[in-house]
Amino acid sequence: MTDITVPEGLWGSDDEGVIFAWIYADGARVEAGKLVAELTVEKAQLELLAPASGTLRILAPAETVVRKGTVIGKIEPV
Amino acid sequence: MVQQASTTGGSARTLTMARAGREAVIAEMRKDPNIFVIGEDIAKLGGVFGTTVGMAEEFGAQRVIDTPISETGFIGIATGAAMAGMRPIVEIAFVDFIGVCFNAIFNFAAKTHYMSGGQFKVPMTMMIGYGGGYNDAAQHSQCLVGTLAHVPGIRIVTPADAHDAKGLMHSCLRDDNLTIWMVHKAIWGLGWLGTALKTAMATVPEEEYTIPFGKARTWREGTDVTLIGYGITVHHSLQAAEKLAAEGISAEVLDLRTIVPLDREAIMKSVARTGRVVVADEDYMNCGVTAEVLATIAERDPQILKAPAVRVANPDVPVPFSRPMENFALPDSDKIAAAAKSTLQS
Repeated sequence: MTDITVPEGLWGSDDEGVIFAWIYADGARVEAGKLVAELTVEKAQLELLAPASGTLRILAPAETVVRKGTVIGKIEPV
Repeated sequence: MVQQASTTGGSARTLTMARAGREAVIAEMRKDPNIFVIGEDIAKLGGVFGTTVGMAEEFGAQRVIDTPISETGFIGIATGAAMAGMRPIVEIAFVDFIGVCFNAIFNFAAKTHYMSGGQFKVPMTMMIGYGGGYNDAAQHSQCLVGTLAHVPGIRIVTPADAHDAKGLMHSCLRDDNLTIWMVHKAIWGLGWLGTALKTAMATVPEEEYTIPFGKARTWREGTDVTLIGYGITVHHSLQAAEKLAAEGISAEVLDLRTIVPLDREAIMKSVARTGRVVVADEDYMNCGVTAEVLATIAERDPQILKAPAVRVANPDVPVPFSRPMENFALPDSDKIAAAAKSTLQS
């Protein structure tokens, strides 16, 4: 099981961000390194890549407000 | 949204229109070194709408070119480059500023293929954002689709979801004429404009595909009234159809999808079946797309109408800055539903 965490370095400030969209549905198979979610901070659109391959478990749905370090999902090994 | 298994074996991806359009641009750029992208804030920033994110890194500064605020200059550059054999893509984030490029667009990009007897082609694609609804006032909220559609020699596509955004972008980039890929800002997929409209995000296949010019799309079938729109008004119409269904009225939703050429057969076929029509457009009403749709019915067979047609469009005013005034001026699902009900009175 690998956490999908909003990386500390994804944006510079301590501002809150928001999950704009998940690319895959909960329970979908995802591949390490592929885009899984888009986040918005201020006016910038940021990409979150899958940290591992496996089954996606979404913990924080689209529109959830997040901070750097927030765990927003998990990837279960297949 | 229904998740379908992708044909490539991976999981289905739900994308924004920005990302779907970008995927088509990248795929075509990898195959054809003559394609380059030019515009304001497209390289370093990746486009105001994120459509060109990452392209400068992959293709370099020669093929992804940031310009000053000089639309007249870079549209002229692109038009000349297209005549000389390149395949430029030009981004204009806000259609409101296209006026300073009209000579290059109307007199050269749109006409040279014809006036040179086919000796010079102008395979150029413009990516343009349009529309209001987010309090950006009269100079940042226009549609101007009808203005561009008025001049022969330009193909205009107006996708309403991510699936069509990708397919129509491939079609534009493979065409040898001036093509304009126009997306309403509220459905492009911009975080700073609020939550993505769920009906504009769609399952997008990984592989390349094209969507033909001049083919409308039926989003919802119905029997009592046809709601015709494109871009954002497809989504307003879908919401209106839901409201009407709750009152026992069956509305069909037809997406024009490409404005030039216009799928006049699809318009006639749907309205012949329902007998009633509402045409919704966020653009100005006067001499606009709504008028062209209704002229089609009037010319081909006005007998199919059981009630007078209704247009829901900007009532020919500059788009107001004030939220209540803007809401009053622009089409929405309530106005479309009310218009549909008015056609059922007679």
